[in-house]
Amino acid sequence: VDFALNQDQQAFAESTRELLEHHFAAAEVRALYDDADGPAHSEKLWSTISEHGWLAIIVEPEFGGLGLGLVDAQIVARSLGAGTIPGPWLTTILSIEAIRLAGDSAHHARWLPGLASGALIGTQALDQQVTLEGAHASGQLTRVEYGGIASLLVVTDRDGRIGVLELDDPGVQVHPQPQYDLSTRFVTVDLADVPATMLPGGTTFAGGTTDVVDQLLRRAALLTAADLVGLARESMSRTIAYDKQRVQFGRPVGSFQAIKHELANLHVAVTMAEHAVLYAAHALDVGLPDADLAVAVAKSTASTAAKDATGAMIQLTGGIAFTWDHEAHHYYKRAKRLAASFGDAAHHRERIAQLVLDRGETR
Amino acid sequence: VQVMFSRADEEFRLELRSYLANTIDPGWNQPGFWSSMDGATGFALRRDWERDKALAGFAGIDWPVEFGGRGGSAAMQAVHDQEMAAAGAPRSANQLGLSYLAPTIAAIGSEHQKQSLMAPMLRNDTIWVQGFSEPEAGSDLAAVRTRGDLDGDEFVVNGQKIWTTQAVFGDRIFALVRTEPGSTRHQGLSLLLIDMHQPGVQARALKTMSGEEEFGEVFFTDARVPIADCLGGVGNGWRTAMLLLSFERGASGFSYHAAMRRMLDTMLPMLREARGGDVLGDPVHRQRLATVVAQIECLRYHALSVLTRIERGEDLGFEASATKLHWSETMQDLWEAFDDALGADVTVAQSAARDGVGSLQAMSLYSRSVTIWGGSAQIQRNVIAERVLALPR
Repeated sequence: VDFALNQDQQAFAESTRELLEHHFAAAEVRALYDDADGPAHSEKLWSTISEHGWLAIIVEPEFGGLGLGLVDAQIVARSLGAGTIPGPWLTTILSIEAIRLAGDSAHHARWLPGLASGALIGTQALDQQVTLEGAHASGQLTRVEYGGIASLLVVTDRDGRIGVLELDDPGVQVHPQPQYDLSTRFVTVDLADVPATMLPGGTTFAGGTTDVVDQLLRRAALLTAADLVGLARESMSRTIAYDKQRVQFGRPVGSFQAIKHELANLHVAVTMAEHAVLYAAHALDVGLPDADLAVAVAKSTASTAAKDATGAMIQLTGGIAFTWDHEAHHYYKRAKRLAASFGDAAHHRERIAQLVLDRGETR
Repeated sequence: VQVMFSRADEEFRLELRSYLANTIDPGWNQPGFWSSMDGATGFALRRDWERDKALAGFAGIDWPVEFGGRGGSAAMQAVHDQEMAAAGAPRSANQLGLSYLAPTIAAIGSEHQKQSLMAPMLRNDTIWVQGFSEPEAGSDLAAVRTRGDLDGDEFVVNGQKIWTTQAVFGDRIFALVRTEPGSTRHQGLSLLLIDMHQPGVQARALKTMSGEEEFGEVFFTDARVPIADCLGGVGNGWRTAMLLLSFERGASGFSYHAAMRRMLDTMLPMLREARGGDVLGDPVHRQRLATVVAQIECLRYHALSVLTRIERGEDLGFEASATKLHWSETMQDLWEAFDDALGADVTVAQSAARDGVGSLQAMSLYSRSVTIWGGSAQIQRNVIAERVLALPR
């Protein structure tokens, strides 16, 4: 048993946090956030994280990648969550996973080097369906993350087939969607007979399934849960720091038991979700028999913990945290968005019910 | 990351699993078995089974060999705890001694104490009980009043302890006693190892809300204990007691995880038949039970983390408070979810679902105690807030 990051991974975790703090401080996050008509994407940050290999983590070395796994990728996701950092890292990673798991070697060679180096930005709409006929895609998509700046879009149809299309095709129409979490950008995408490269799929995963869309959605849920625990832990730390120095009734408000007990509960909830995220990442990496259960546990607990922690951040900081100028709303809104993405807590609890209550599985 | 146990640990698991399968009578896990006999008979059965298990080499897994232990690792101890819970092994007859007193003696006991106390404890020749709480000292343990007055080379002890698990079956009691006249709070206390087989010590059982005689009171009237039977030094009782309480078994999460998954296995057949067979199809009950399952699974992940920190030699700090708070509230949530799913059948012993519900009611009622004993949930939250999160006092 060695249930922790190894030394290299610990060093990587520290360096990701430091890199974001030094090269992309709170003021820069805020500038992107407040520019509602802008892309919520920093070229400077993108080239920095590309140089540091954050997009290459799960790509095989022959395609310019680092050949690592989700345990390593979730380190980045936590750090991005902790800083409420905007940018198409997750959408690109999920496109990479789709091409890696469903594509053949020609697809790998065509796209993975560009995606791993940051030259290409990818996105996906795997939680929605389009019509794929004769290698052409048609349909209407909503909430496509960074669809306005990505060059590749991964789509799927009702039969679970996967296609990759180029967003600069004339048959693609993209419209910005008003939204309140400005740490990303959503667009609607209308597809009218857009040429798509069909990925063959056919990989058999641990447990015998060949449902690649389901596998991709699990990875998406896991990395989203990682972002959520990162932001939950950071919002707690900021709340605690404030409550230690904020004086009311002649004493720091953090000395009041009503506040202590709420923060203690949150600490336990966030700690458990952190463990669940690490376990699920490892379970997916090595194909443990309880990987399915672990992802559902991770996403349901991380979603709940992050919503609770960011709600508490506003409440236990008080009126100032309700203002636009305070960062609490960055955390709260991102938690709201991600808690509902790739299956909310109730969705994943239903999955747990199917696995454990109905089938009595996986002990 | 590696979540698998080593090959040697897994071999030990199979060896132990086979021993447990051969020595645990299947009837012991039938509904109503333990409640069908009087407390003393049940206790003797548990004590003797546990003694045989120790003699077979399956006790004191991570104790040094010189004290009769197996000299194994923390991971082996975790494997042991998992298998015991998963097999439905009888509850330990010497839990407080084995889990709390023994590591304290090993850490700070005198050579004589180590040599004379450890091995008999492991064989259940001496059953130890704990004397901490008093009627006026519950969560506020430093308020203890039981006093020990020096008379020659003995203390003469007077006072009362309460909530003592298995009080009436104890051979000796480790008791927190005020040995310095006029002292207050954390000063002037000593942890005394008192022989209960003497006229000055009387134990009386208290009936719990589940109807069991699980704990009791202990009265001291001029009870005598030699100074040499003080553990950790006269006047150091508070420090000794805190050290003892810190031995909430390292990776105890493994044991509670296995125990709660076993409880769930017992519940599920009943839930499938409850309320005409549709309760598990009700989204409200599904969601509640699934929430608890998620918390139970987190306990195992957490235990893997704690075990890793032990094996890496890291200081666990006050992690035990998070462990205790999480498992105790999860166990309570599990039983509350089960009870609510049963609906109106919750209070009748022979329900439409199955006869066995009656025997589960005692476990359900028992779960109300787990957030009180060993430091209440509120005390654990104070510890987490002040010691882990460093919030001001």
